[in-house]
Parts: sequence; structure tokens; C-alpha cells
Amino acid sequence: MTVTAAPQAALSVLPRADGSAKYSHAGYTVTASVNGPIEAQRRDEHAYEAHVDVIVRPAAGVGGTRERHLESILQSSLTQIILVKNFPRSLIQIVLQIEATPENDYVNTKLVQASLNFSIMPALFQTAILALLSAAVPMRATATASVVAVVPETKSKKLVVDPSPRELEAAQSVHVLAFTSQGELLLAESEGDFTVEEWDEVYETAEDVCCKSETSKSDVDMMLDDDDDDAGPADMHQFIRSTLEDKVAADLHWK
Amino acid sequence: MPREAEPSLNEKQFILQALQENLRLDGRQLDQYRPLELTFGDEYGVAQVSLGKTKVFAKASAEVTVPYTDRPLDGVFTIMTELSPMASPAFEVNRPNETEVLLSRLLEKTVRRSGALDTESLCLVAGQKCWSVRVDVHVLSHDGNVIDASCLAVVAALRHFRKSDTSMEGGVLTVYTPAEREPVPLGWLHSPFCVTWSFFGDEGETAVLDATRAEEQIRVGSCTISLNRHGEICQIAKLGGTPVEAVALLQCTSLALTKVKEFSTVLDRKLAEDSKRRDKSGRAAELTAENDR
Amino acid sequence: MATAPLLVLPGDTIDPSLIPTHRKQPLRLGPGLRHIPPSEIVPTVAGQLVVDPKKNSMWVEYNGGRYIPSTHDLVIGQVHRSAADLYYVNLSPYTANAALPHLAFEGATKKTRPQLLPGALIYARVTLANRHMDPELECVSSTTGKAEGLGPLTGGMAFDVSLGLARRLLMARNREEGRVEVLELLGAEGLAFETAVGRNGRVWVGSESTKTIVLVGRALKETDEGDLTVEQQRKLVKRLVKQLR
Repeated sequence: MTVTAAPQAALSVLPRADGSAKYSHAGYTVTASVNGPIEAQRRDEHAYEAHVDVIVRPAAGVGGTRERHLESILQSSLTQIILVKNFPRSLIQIVLQIEATPENDYVNTKLVQASLNFSIMPALFQTAILALLSAAVPMRATATASVVAVVPETKSKKLVVDPSPRELEAAQSVHVLAFTSQGELLLAESEGDFTVEEWDEVYETAEDVCCKSETSKSDVDMMLDDDDDDAGPADMHQFIRSTLEDKVAADLHWK
Repeated sequence: MPREAEPSLNEKQFILQALQENLRLDGRQLDQYRPLELTFGDEYGVAQVSLGKTKVFAKASAEVTVPYTDRPLDGVFTIMTELSPMASPAFEVNRPNETEVLLSRLLEKTVRRSGALDTESLCLVAGQKCWSVRVDVHVLSHDGNVIDASCLAVVAALRHFRKSDTSMEGGVLTVYTPAEREPVPLGWLHSPFCVTWSFFGDEGETAVLDATRAEEQIRVGSCTISLNRHGEICQIAKLGGTPVEAVALLQCTSLALTKVKEFSTVLDRKLAEDSKRRDKSGRAAELTAENDR
Repeated sequence: MATAPLLVLPGDTIDPSLIPTHRKQPLRLGPGLRHIPPSEIVPTVAGQLVVDPKKNSMWVEYNGGRYIPSTHDLVIGQVHRSAADLYYVNLSPYTANAALPHLAFEGATKKTRPQLLPGALIYARVTLANRHMDPELECVSSTTGKAEGLGPLTGGMAFDVSLGLARRLLMARNREEGRVEVLELLGAEGLAFETAVGRNGRVWVGSESTKTIVLVGRALKETDEGDLTVEQQRKLVKRLVKQLR
């Protein structure tokens, strides 16, 4: 399995959409398109704000309840940061097409019915944010997400950022957290059994991944897993910023 | 409901007039394709095709299931095409429109019914166990001629795909995981490709290859010819539109053959490049348990 | 505009020293910024922050996205249908139609107004843009009563370009500030054509010769998609003109 440690992203990859992005990290590759603000269908129309429509499409197989669940999580958190009040009665449509997921070489894939899990959330979230930025949809702030699994070891437990499919199988609980660029908690979803202390640790780890440079540097050497080499940028916010820097520089080359 | 944007009267008139003067907006010849790009993913069975601004992504996958009772000796092979709003906001999820139905019908006829994939080789235990191979086609960006691009993506994905190796010993079927045994390619018989002609003018006298979205919106008819490099025609679909002279159609078919030969060469070359890239240690030949047919 | 380019992302804090202060004029905020009372100014899009101390204004320069109507913008619209006393005009695909009254043309009366078919192109100015209402257009200056170049566009061809290029083409000094010279260069090569640039990312090109229109369209597309510099635009024009001859 060739998993790149540092995230990679390209903006405006789809020429016909208003905005688009392709993002790959930890074995996941997602392409997103954003169209909007466009005319909303009557049933989605809201008199005072824009309707944010999120569609998650698996690479193989048809989407099911798990995809709808992820869509609803994404929709509620993205509605929070998009300035929806600026575009009443309109629709902002975000389509997330999954292109690659990490493979588990030790099991045979059984299902044609796709079933996604929480570990894809950061990839979906980051791609959606990048595509929204590429579409110049007005937003309150940018945001980034990370996923942390609590994996039991012989005596203790360890926290794993971006767990692999095998680690996910062994995990007791999986948590998705998203933070805005101001460091506010935007989204917290958890699965499995965990204690309050564990959740606190998870929170700090996720905050570290998302916005290390903004928070204090006190807990730098947390229990991040050992084989995670910090080749890439300091944190996810930093990554989004540097990606956008290139795009803006190319767009405004004439300045 | 968002409507599909129609080109303006000025655009319609101008594109037609330019075509009469043998001019296209992007400076192409009438029978010239846009630059074709074909890339494979890190996984087996993932192919992305782009023709100019049209981008199509196809992924092949397989699982073990029970064969259909009326075909106990055949495996299951399906092609799924669902156009998402990513291609155009006018497409809706779970509500197929004409483009989508035509696309899936044409791919079905071209790839499945022409017997490109040897479905008998997918049978594991007669009447009990077989492989179900499935290709999902995703149109990422729709700028015309989705049919040709999708067909190429489907064929490329299937030829790139590897399914898990299996063995039968004493009536026990074992499916090996990729970690245990190197996966094996599908039984592939021939590679069909689609070539779509668009017709313009009152009597459909101007024939154009690889129409863009704007050209597709104003054409008076189209004809999709599916054939392989040996010139064996799998299907011809001329669905409605202005009638076209039979002689013109014959010309279209013979030109289509040269295009298909080009596609075939590109695909063979890309597949060879990809296998070379994967086979860095040069030991792939030893690892495969595949028997030459 | 002498300061180094400053990238801003939505929600970034702007250094208060950058906000221009002027004794008399009020501070003017352009696109991409929002004011949170009492005194916070926050970017809402990703782009480059531009401050103009002379005009006491600031905005975020960016390219991309969908056209959002704003008053006084010149746009190229496509007539969707005609109603009792107005035309419904589409400014960008899949969005709500703008309204263009039948009488908003130069010298138009009930009998002499232009009859526009669905699909006709018009060059118009946005008179009303408001988030709660559909935009309204006019093809006549309400102060002088003259068309001033606005009105139906006949013949020719409309090309889609990015919003950024449309903005650069519309700049008063597009050569110096916008760094886009491609149209002037084509004209200097002896091609005869006329253009109308819509802020909504459409450029109409009219000419006697079909070849010229195709050539101008290709030059615009390549300048836009390739982010060409002035020097590259020159080379492109030379190459295209050579192909024509």
C-alpha cells in the first residue's frame, strides 16, 4: 500500500464547475465540485438563507444510509461556516466523489454495497472546504477536520490519527472533530465506547492536527503515533493556506 | 428545478455557420478528437479519461456471489452509470434523464453484449458461486461526447482490473486475499470502443467527431458506432434525428475504424507503461499464478 | 497598492494598521469583505487584500466562482422569455432570471420596442441587485436617455471567460492595470471586429468574417486558461494570425 504521508491537493480541476478541488491524504482521494449560488428547487427553497446540498458518492457501489449520515453531518457543519444568509432562496450544491480509499490487503472486499466509515470524514471535509474556496463562496471562516481512533494495546490505549483500515477494526472508538480557523470546535462526532478522559485526549490530539500553530505550543509532543513523520506542513490550516496561496498567485499573476 | 442552459441564438447560428466553413470554435478539424488523456489509479481497475474538458472516471470491482438461476455457468457483469450533479446541476440524483439512459444502454450494448468480457470465466462453482464484476462510471465534467469517453474508461478500467485469485481443492473454494496471492486479470476477449458522429445542417450533411457540449446541443442527429480494432462492429445506434445518407454512414464507419485503432494503441501503450511502473522489481511474472489461455 | 501581496482567507483577522483612515471620506468596503459591527472587518473569500488609501477603500481581489449581480455592472444576458411588460433574462446558467422591462431601451415605446426572441443576447446594465429580489436590467441610460452602446447584440458569437478576465477587460486602462492586451494586438494585426464584455464572464465578438470571430475567441480562451502574460499574449497573437493567413 502506498500511502503518502503529506496531504496533496489541486484546485479548480473541473473546468465546468464553479469551483472544484481534488485532495488526497492517508490513502483517500476525493474530488469535489461546488456550484452555487444557483436556483434552488421549490422543496429546498428557504426564504432567508441558502440551502446547502451535500452529495457523497462512493467510487464503487451505490450509496446507502452510511453515506446519507455523512452527508447530513457535513451539511450541518458546512451550513455553519458558509454565509448562507447572503443568498436567500438559492442553493449551494457540493458533490463529493470518492475516487480511492485505502485497501486492506488482508481481507477480501465483500460488499458491492459501499459502506463508508468515519475515517474518510477529514478527506471529505477538507475537499469540500477547498472546493468552496475555489468557488469563492463567501464563508465565515475556513475549517479543517481530523479523525482520531482509540486503539487498545496490551495494557494501555493509544490514540491514532488517520487510522488505517486494520487499526480501525481494532479501535474501541472513533472520533471526528472539526475546528474553524479561529480554533473553535465545529463538529464532534463519536462512535464506540469511550470515557470522558479519553475524549479529552482525543480533543487535544485533533486540535493539534487541525490548528497547531494557532493554539499554544504546550502539548507538542503528545501521544501522536510514532511512525507519523512530520514531512508536511505544520497543521491542516497551514496546508489549506499554502494551497490557496498558489491558486491566488496564479489567478492574480497580472497584478 | 434547474434547467439545462440552452445556447443563445447567436451561438447556434454562429456554430452552424462556422461548421459550414469547416471551422470549429477550438480550431479542430471536423474529424479530429480533442486531446485524449488516460490515467490509471494506484488501485487496480481505476481509470480516468479526459477528452478536452470532459472527464470520466471508472472503477471496476468484483465480489463472489450466486449466479443467476437461468445462467448457472455465467458470472455476473454489470455497468453502472449514474450522472451526478457534478457533471451538471441539471442532473438529479436518483432521477435518470435521457442522457443517462442512453449512455447506460450504449455501454451495455457495446461492452456487455458484444462479449468483451468472458463471463464464463467468472464462474467458480456451476450454479452456486461466481464472480460478480461491476464497473461504476462517474462523469466528473460534462463537455460533450460523454459516450466515447465513458466507453474508453470502462474498457480501460476492466483491462486494468485484477480480481482475487481462487482455487478449488476437494470441492472447497478458496478466495485468496491480495496479501496471499497476486490478483489475476479478467478473461478479456476483445476491446470495443464507441465513436460518435454528430450531424449538422438541414440534411445532416456535415458530420463531426467528438462534439463539445455546445455542438451537441444544436446538432440535428447523432450516430454512435461501436467496433473493435479488427473492424468488427458491435452496434450502430442512430436514434432519431434527421435521416442521413447511407453512403455517408458507410464513410463514417470506415473513419471510425481508424479512430478505434488509435484508441486501441493508446490503451495498449498506457497499460504497458502502467504495468512497468508497478513491476519495479521485475518479479511480477514469478508472482502471478495465471495460466496463459 | 504598493504593499506586498497579502493573502487572506475567510475569517482571517486583518491587521488594523492596514485599514485606511481618511478624515472626510467614509471607508468603502469592496467585494470579499464584511463588516461586523462595531469595528471588525473580516474577509469572506480567499484572495489578495487590496487597499486604496486615496479612495479610502479596500477589497479582496479574487478570480473564480459564479457571477453575483451588483448594480452598475455591464452584463451580457440571454433572453429566456417575454412576459406582459418585461423580458426574463438569464445572466448565468441555473440561476434565477433577471428582469428587463420592455421599455428600458433607447427611444422605446409600446410600439417601437425591440422584439426579442427567446435566446437573443442583450448587452445591459444592472440597475437593481439585492439578495432578496431578482436583479433588474436596463439597456438605456436613465440620465441621458441614450443607449450608450447597450441593447440587443445581433450576429457574432458569445464566448465564456472567467470572471477575473472579464473584470480585467473592463478596466478603464486594461493594458496597464489589467495586463490584457490580446484584443488590441489582434486589432493591430488588421483584424476587424467589435466586442462587448459582460462582467458576468461573457465576451461577445462580432465581425463580418467567421474566421476572425473564431480566432478572437480562441485567443481569449487561451489567454484566460493559460494565465498568459503580455509577452505570451503577443506570441499567441502572432501564432494565431500566422495560421489564419
